[in-house]
Amino acid sequence: MLSNVTVYCFLASYVIVLICELVRWLKRSSLNRVVILGLGCAGLVAQTAYLWQRGLQTDLPPLMASSHDWLLVLSWTAIVLYLFVSLIDKSLAVGPFLLPLVIVLIIGALLVSDQPQTIMFDDPDLSENVLKRWGMLHATLLMFGAGGVMAGCILGLMYLVQHRRLKHKQILHEGLTLPSLAKLARWNWWAGAISFPLLTLGMLVGVGMGWYKQQGSQPVSFADPVIIGYGVVWIVMLVLFFLLVRTRHPGGRQVAWWTIWAFTFLLVTVLGLQILTKGVSSLNSWHAGRADLSSHIVSRLS
Amino acid sequence: MNLQVLSCNHHTADLSLREKLAFSSESDLQQAYRHLKSAFPSTEVVVLSTCNRVELYTAQVDEELCPSRDEIAKFFSEFHDVPVDLFMNEMWQRHGAEAVRHLFQVACSLDSMVLGEPQIVNQLKEAYRVAQENAACGPLTNPLFQQAIRVSARVRSETELAEGRVSIASVAVGEFGRNIFDRFDDKTVVVIGAGEMAEETLRYLQSEGARRIVVINRGFERGDKLAKEFHGTAKPWDELDRWVAQADVVVSTTGADVPIMTAARMKAIRAKSAQNPLLILDLGAPRDFEPAIAEIDEDIFLYDIDDLEATCERNKAARSGEVTKALKIIDEETERFMHDVSHRATGPVIKQLRDQWHDVRAQEVERLLQKLPHLSPKDREIIEKSVEQIVNKLLHPPLEALREEARSGTPHGLLDALRKLFGISDR
Repeated sequence: MLSNVTVYCFLASYVIVLICELVRWLKRSSLNRVVILGLGCAGLVAQTAYLWQRGLQTDLPPLMASSHDWLLVLSWTAIVLYLFVSLIDKSLAVGPFLLPLVIVLIIGALLVSDQPQTIMFDDPDLSENVLKRWGMLHATLLMFGAGGVMAGCILGLMYLVQHRRLKHKQILHEGLTLPSLAKLARWNWWAGAISFPLLTLGMLVGVGMGWYKQQGSQPVSFADPVIIGYGVVWIVMLVLFFLLVRTRHPGGRQVAWWTIWAFTFLLVTVLGLQILTKGVSSLNSWHAGRADLSSHIVSRLS
Repeated sequence: MNLQVLSCNHHTADLSLREKLAFSSESDLQQAYRHLKSAFPSTEVVVLSTCNRVELYTAQVDEELCPSRDEIAKFFSEFHDVPVDLFMNEMWQRHGAEAVRHLFQVACSLDSMVLGEPQIVNQLKEAYRVAQENAACGPLTNPLFQQAIRVSARVRSETELAEGRVSIASVAVGEFGRNIFDRFDDKTVVVIGAGEMAEETLRYLQSEGARRIVVINRGFERGDKLAKEFHGTAKPWDELDRWVAQADVVVSTTGADVPIMTAARMKAIRAKSAQNPLLILDLGAPRDFEPAIAEIDEDIFLYDIDDLEATCERNKAARSGEVTKALKIIDEETERFMHDVSHRATGPVIKQLRDQWHDVRAQEVERLLQKLPHLSPKDREIIEKSVEQIVNKLLHPPLEALREEARSGTPHGLLDALRKLFGISDR
C-alpha cells in the first residue's frame, strides 16, 4: 500500500491546506482548522511514507539519495514545523507564507532528477562508510542552511505584510495574528546569521569529500556546473551575512528584502541547475547524478 | 423558586446616584450581608456592586418570606443613609426567568457599557465569592451564579462578542503598539500634554510594562502631577525635540489649535535620532502631528484619533453582530436553568403522587386477584397491566399540567393544590 503513495498525494493535501489557510483570512471557522490540521497531518504521513519507500528503493537515506529526495526532506521539515506551530498557536497566520514555499519545493522536486546519486560513494579504494557519513553531514548541513534561508524568507514576507498593515492602519481578521515587527526583525536577523555558517560548513564538508575522493580510483572534478553554481550561491550568502553582521541594527524592511531575495536566488539557482542537468541535452554534472560521467571523472591512473 | 433581582444600573441611574448606593469595599459588603441576614434570615442573597451597577439577587423557597421591593429599598436607604425617594424610581425589579436571564446577560457583558468587556465576569465571580464567604448563598443562588459563570464562558467561546478592542487607548496600545514592539519595559514613552486620554493611554502602556515615562506639558505642574502618578518624570516644554528624538512611543494630547509638530521639524529630529521604530499616537483634536510625518521614513507609525476611532467602530460593529448569537445562547441556558430548578421543586411531588397511586393500584389488584384464584398467570398479568395503564392515564393530565406550568418557573400554586387534593405531605 505504501508503494502507491506518490508525490501528488501529499502535494494535493498541501494545496488544499493552503486554500483553507487563505479562507481563514476571510472567515474564521473551527471546521476550517480541523480540515487544516487533518489534511496537514495526512499529507505529512503520506510524505513520510513516500520518503521511507524511496529510502528502501535507493538503499540510501533520502537526504543523500538525489536532489528530488533532498528537496522533499526540506519541505517535510518545513511541514513538521508548520504543523507544530499551528498546534501550539492557532491564531498565528504562518500557513499562507510557508505553504506556498513548500509547494514550490515539492513541484521543484518533481522537475529534478530522482536518480540515486551513487558516484560519490562508489570507489573500491575508499571506505564507503566514511564517504556516506560525510555525505550525510554535507547534505544535512546544506538542508538546515537552506531551511534557515527559507525561514528568513518566510519571516521577511511576514514582516512586510505586518509592516504594510501597520503603516496603512489596517486590522487583521479576528483570530489571526502576526508576530510584532520587533520579533520578526529579530528572528529574521538570526535566521540569516545562522544559515550562512551552516551553508559554509556544508560546503566545506563537500569540499573535504571531493578532496578525499581524489585519493581513490574514481576522483571527481570540482569543475562541475552544479558545484560552481552552489559556489555562486555561497558567495551571495556571504554578502548577505556580512551585510547582516556589519549592520547590527539594520532596518527591518531591509533585512526582510535581503532574506527574500537570498532565498529566491538560492531556490532559482538550485532548481535551475538541477533541472538543466536532468535532461539528456543539458548540462553534464556528476553531482546531479545523471551526467555523462566519462567527461567529469578524471582518472588519476590514466 | 422565588428568585428576584433589584437593580440600579447605568441604564437607569447616573454615576452620582450609583456611587451613593455602591458597596465600595469588601468590609462594606460584609456589613451589608450582616444587615441582610438579620432582616431576611431565610433568604439567599448575592450583592453585585460595580461602577456600572448595584444589584441585589434574592432567592427564597417560601413566597411569603420573599423580601419585597420596598423592604430592599429600605435596606439600601438605611445602609447608605440615602432617602428612598432618591433612587426608588431608578431601581427596577425582575422575577423568575427574567431575573435569571438578566444575570446571564450581565455575566456575558451584554448589559455592560462596553459590549464584550471582560471585567464583569471577574466582578461577578468576586461578588459570588464574597456572598459564599458570608454564608449568604444557598441551594438556589449557588447553581444560579455557577451557571452564570459557565454561560459567560460559553458565550465567549462560541461567539466573537469579546473579540477586538473597543476603546481608543486599548486599540492604540493593543492593536497597533503590540504589533510594532514585543515589549515596552525598555521603551521610552513621551507624553505630550496631560489630558484624560493621555492618562488612559498611559495606564494601558504601563500595564504592558512601560517604565520609562516622560511627560512634557506646557504647564509644568500639571505634567509633573501626571508623571508622578505613573512614576515617570516631567520635562519642560522646550526639551520637546530632544525627548521626541529619544522616544519609542509618543502620546500627544495637547488640544492645540495648530499642529505642534510639523513634518520639517520631525524630519530634523529623526535625522539626529537612531531612527528606531517610532509609534506616534496623536490623540489631539485638532491633530498635534502633521499627517505627512508618517511619510518621513518607513519606521514612523503615526495614528491619529480618527484612525483609532475607525478601528474601535469596526470592532464594535463586529461585536454587535454577535449579540443575537449570544442572546440565543442565554435564552437556551435560562430555559435549561429554569427547567432544572422546577424539576428540583416539582420532582418530589410528582414522585410522591406516583408512588401513592401505584401503592393503591398494587393493593387493589392484589385484593382482586385473591378473589379470583382460578385465573391463569397470563390472565393475571393482563389485569395487572390494564390497571396500571388506567392509573398512568389518570395521572397523566395533572402531571402534564404541572410540567407545563413549571416551564415558566416553579408552579407554587399548582403544587400546593396537588398536595391538598391528593394528601401529599412535604417530606
